Amino acid sequence: MQKHTANSVKLGVFVLAGIFLLVLTLYILGKNKGMFGASFDLKTHFRAVNGLVKGNNVRFSGIDIGSVKNIVFVNDTVIEVTMSIERKMKSIIRSNAVASLGTDGLIGNRVVNIAPARGEAPLIKEGDLLPSKDEINTDEMLQTLRRTNDNVAVIAEELRSTIHRINTSAQLTELLEDRTMSANLKASFAHLHEATEKASALMTDASATLTLASQGKGALATLLTDTTLSQEIRQVVKKIKQVEESADRLANDLNQVVVSVDKDYNTGQGTVNALMKDSLMAAQLRQTIDNVEKGTETFSQNMEALKHNFLFKRYFKKIEKEEKKKAVQKKSQ
Amino acid sequence: MAKFELTLPENTRRFLHDAGELSRFAARFFAEGFSPRYEVLEFVRQCFVVGYKSLPLAGLTAFIMGLVLTMQLHPTMVYYGVEAMIPAMVGISIVREIGPILTALIFAGKIGSSIGAELGSMKVTEQIDAMEVSGTNPFKYLVVTRTLAATLMLPILVIIADAISLYGSYLGINIYENVSFYLFFKQIFDHLLFMDVVPAVIKTFFFGFAVGIIGCYKGYYSSKGTEGVGRSANSAVVVSSVMIFILDLLAVQITDLL
Repeated sequence: MQKHTANSVKLGVFVLAGIFLLVLTLYILGKNKGMFGASFDLKTHFRAVNGLVKGNNVRFSGIDIGSVKNIVFVNDTVIEVTMSIERKMKSIIRSNAVASLGTDGLIGNRVVNIAPARGEAPLIKEGDLLPSKDEINTDEMLQTLRRTNDNVAVIAEELRSTIHRINTSAQLTELLEDRTMSANLKASFAHLHEATEKASALMTDASATLTLASQGKGALATLLTDTTLSQEIRQVVKKIKQVEESADRLANDLNQVVVSVDKDYNTGQGTVNALMKDSLMAAQLRQTIDNVEKGTETFSQNMEALKHNFLFKRYFKKIEKEEKKKAVQKKSQ
Repeated sequence: MAKFELTLPENTRRFLHDAGELSRFAARFFAEGFSPRYEVLEFVRQCFVVGYKSLPLAGLTAFIMGLVLTMQLHPTMVYYGVEAMIPAMVGISIVREIGPILTALIFAGKIGSSIGAELGSMKVTEQIDAMEVSGTNPFKYLVVTRTLAATLMLPILVIIADAISLYGSYLGINIYENVSFYLFFKQIFDHLLFMDVVPAVIKTFFFGFAVGIIGCYKGYYSSKGTEGVGRSANSAVVVSSVMIFILDLLAVQITDLL
């Protein structure tokens, strides 16, 4: 009898364990599908659902919040998907949230993804129609990929052509094989480096100068801050202006002279005209100059004769000695 | 014997005869099983023998199957970069097909042969006839209790075996990578549907009934002494195993229609 009771207990445990596991499994599956919690319906429209079936999950920002309840045709281009959503999501999802189709992993089940959108919108209500975004179709992706491939083929062909031209270019080959080029480049870089260093030093000096100037020291600071200097500069500028005005007047006078001369020349009157156009006067003037030259030469001979005359010889020697003395003094200085 | 029967080959005629007799036997089960008097104590004893005592064998087999299936799948799934799908894949495979079929076959091997041999030996030793003489309905006491116990215990056995098998799979996947218990079972239940679980459980009732009724039939109509007992046990296993596959095929077809 005791053995019979023990067997009955074991059997009871066995049966209850089996029933418990079955119920637990069904409960978890039901809970996953939102069968036991309070829920409400939301709708959205798609052009194509791409394999979505009843019972597929609905996610909001990646979290499972419900399942697809029904899928019906509205017309030949619109399919209405009704989703059963957990009631607690009523206080979170807004009416501008966007529904889209996705896949659970790379090859997993289809899912409806609801994503929040920017901007303010009221919270959703029972039976609201959410805006939807059509999924990128695989065929469309392949078509885009095909266009990309075509473009890549064109680019590759052009690249090949360019490389061929580079390979067959004599000038480029010569340039590449020119060993002096690298030396020149090196030298250029050295000069560039040197120039950069000088520029750097210059900038350092400028910086120091500016620092001094900002501290009120140095010539630049004086130039920038000394009021008397600016006064003097102003006066200098004023004088330069006066000189400029004098120069203007002089130029005007000269201009008047030139105009007068030009007038005389054109009218055949005046001294200038006589000097420039009267050949007789020019001949007389030349004769006069010749006479003056001859007179000067004769005077020079007379003076030389005076130097050698005993009455004046002493005087000229004295002058010669003084000049020599001055020359020696200048050298010693 | 009708003229039509005489035109058929001997094997075909015997097969059709057995099929007809088995159908009548099953019909008698339903007729007598639901009418009083009920052999409750014998039914409970048979549940213990058929169900509880089969658990170690079925559990061990299921555990090894879950472990091995995962270890065999892992390299291929890694090759395709979808190792994250192993729990879902193993879970669906075990719950939908491997668990029910494997457990039913183990059940047929252990219980079908046991029932066939037990009833066969009772038949050849004329114990069944003695029961009839003593006023006990041998069909109710022997056939109804065993068939009903097999029908009801196999689903429970399958559910527990599925759980053990999934645990084996969990250990198997943890040989290669570190997956938490919660994540493993969450991934399974995320991919399981009612249509995976419910038809799988329902078909196991039919598997259990087939094993029970065929074992009883083969034993109940055993003949030719001790040789007949062995043949009854053997044919009970063979026929019930084939019947399990046929029923599974039908179940898959019906599930696809739903």
